Amino acid sequence: MKRLLAALLGLLMLSFATQASAAAPSKGTVYYLVPTLLDEFQTGSVSALGLFLGQVGYDMKTLNADNKTELQQSQMNDVIALKPAAIILAAVDFNALKPSIESARAAGIPVVEFDRQITSTPSDFTSVAGTVEIGHIAAEHAQKLLTGKYGTVKGKILQVLGDPGDPYTLDIQKGFEEKMKAFPSVTIISLPALQWEASAAGTIVSDQMLANPDIDLIFLHAAHLSVAAVASLEAAGKKPGDVMLMSSNGAPVGLDLIRKGWLNTEVEQPLYAQAAAVAMFMDKIVGKQAIKAGEYDVVGLKSVVTIEAWGPNIKIPGSAITKENVDNPAFWGNQKPPTAAIKSVE
Amino acid sequence: MTPRTRRVLEFVFDNLVWFMLILVLAVFSMLIPNYFQIGIFTNIIEASSVLGVMSIGLALVIITGHMDLSVESVAALAAMAVGILFCSAGIGLGIRLSPEWLMIPVSLLLACAIGALIGLANGVLVVKLKMSAFIITLASFIWVRGIVLAVSGGRSAQDLAPAIRWFAIERFLGIPLTAWIAIACFLIFSIMMAKTPFGRHLVMIGGNETATFRAGIRVTRNLLVAFVMAGAIAGLSGWLLAVRTSGATANLGVGLLFNAFAAVVIGGISLKGGVGSLPGVYAGVLLLSSINTAINLMGLPANFTQVIHGFLVLAAVLLDTFKQRLRQRLA
Repeated sequence: MKRLLAALLGLLMLSFATQASAAAPSKGTVYYLVPTLLDEFQTGSVSALGLFLGQVGYDMKTLNADNKTELQQSQMNDVIALKPAAIILAAVDFNALKPSIESARAAGIPVVEFDRQITSTPSDFTSVAGTVEIGHIAAEHAQKLLTGKYGTVKGKILQVLGDPGDPYTLDIQKGFEEKMKAFPSVTIISLPALQWEASAAGTIVSDQMLANPDIDLIFLHAAHLSVAAVASLEAAGKKPGDVMLMSSNGAPVGLDLIRKGWLNTEVEQPLYAQAAAVAMFMDKIVGKQAIKAGEYDVVGLKSVVTIEAWGPNIKIPGSAITKENVDNPAFWGNQKPPTAAIKSVE
Repeated sequence: MTPRTRRVLEFVFDNLVWFMLILVLAVFSMLIPNYFQIGIFTNIIEASSVLGVMSIGLALVIITGHMDLSVESVAALAAMAVGILFCSAGIGLGIRLSPEWLMIPVSLLLACAIGALIGLANGVLVVKLKMSAFIITLASFIWVRGIVLAVSGGRSAQDLAPAIRWFAIERFLGIPLTAWIAIACFLIFSIMMAKTPFGRHLVMIGGNETATFRAGIRVTRNLLVAFVMAGAIAGLSGWLLAVRTSGATANLGVGLLFNAFAAVVIGGISLKGGVGSLPGVYAGVLLLSSINTAINLMGLPANFTQVIHGFLVLAAVLLDTFKQRLRQRLA
């Protein structure tokens, strides 16, 4: 018995020793507060941030707020008590999280805003795609598609928004309509799909195609909504190309629809670059060093850091995905994360 | 009051929701250009298929005086299971059976079996262990949605097998087969409720559970069957959801529970149990669906839909109370 116990103890010590020598020393734990895990962008952001932060020496833990503001507030308070190296926050509600950001920073914990920009209070770094800009890119492509059909920018667009309470979709709408204002011959019908629910988008499309059969283009604010839209069009006897379609966020399902000929354009939200930017600057953020304004190359995308009233802000341009470039592995929808390891900014 | 007047009044009270539906359709047809057309009415019937089937299951439990809050999540899980197995893109495994038509009964059975199993778990805890139906099914609502999230990882399944998808595309008398499934379910379950001892027993249990037990009716077994049926029907509504959207996303069907509740209450099923009929529920479903369509066509903010649904439920409850009082006076 004594021999058995000694052997077990020996094995235990050996395993501890092996583990200690194998693991590289971590620079600390970073908490990522993800707003929800109900869509592919958010789940993709967890794996991308985990991968890139690991490459620069940090451990990452994720807490899902399930789209509940009060839950995210409690999570912030709990995480502050754990004194992590930093907190990455993709806020459910921009205003409600302001006091929590201030508490974290007061406790000496750097806060990084990811994907959702909070301008009402300073934070240590912000990495965003520029949702208004996504709307601008979508508008440029809508103009191209309508010109291709009529020779001029005119016609009818159905815009299917996401949840009307989500600033992500409201910003895209703002950017899109801002740019389309210059074309008064274009009618835009905007309707929201409550809670980003796909079948709601499908119903909107089938109703509108009956009431307004002259709709030329449908612009949906997420790729998963366009899947339901295509299902409705298919049920109505339409074929790929009969109605022009665009969507935004660049999820894998959107890229599949481009390959099948249903979707003309998908405006990508540059998930990999957004996550890579956070990892690139994490040493400076944790070390509380100054971040310089200027242009940076983030996984091949020219991105601009500006010093705003709410802190250093990196904005990464989204890209338009069409049939011509759909197989480019740089798009996160193709789910091939960059092979070259992310390096910290000196 | 003459017996004839009384009968007329009773008929009006019992079918008030149908009169409301006709009134609403007439008003919308006058107010909204393009509303009065066959295509829109077909859309209303089609859009109500998922909600309609789910409401049947919910009504079966509510009429017994109990509650099933899990139906929405059950539908989502069934849809996700069908999506994962029979979709070829996204997280779909793209399983194909030969002959292809075999996928229809297999996917249907799978969806219904998933629902029935969860319904059985709910039923055992509520009926056998005498736990609160509200709490048990609320817990199921949460953990089942959690499973949907866990198995999908937040990703979606897309491109459902054409053999199954056929139900959303094929039409009979201009109405998609998905809508016919809902209509058939309402017919079958309405007959079951009105003409079979089981249906009558469910209503009796809702009216007075103790008296029904003393009358020698197997209350426990009937309640258990009601929960299993509600689960299986919720599974069927999930199957319809996957068919209509050609796949499944993790948030598919979010918010359906509240609409199903609204439809059941508007349709005249008393939340206390023992009162109501399934044709009334179908009218409630069509009423909600026609209002949703009107909101879509008018371009009103979607939040408005919830406001209207909220007021409709409130109106239905007030009307129900008013009807009960008037019935007492008539009696």
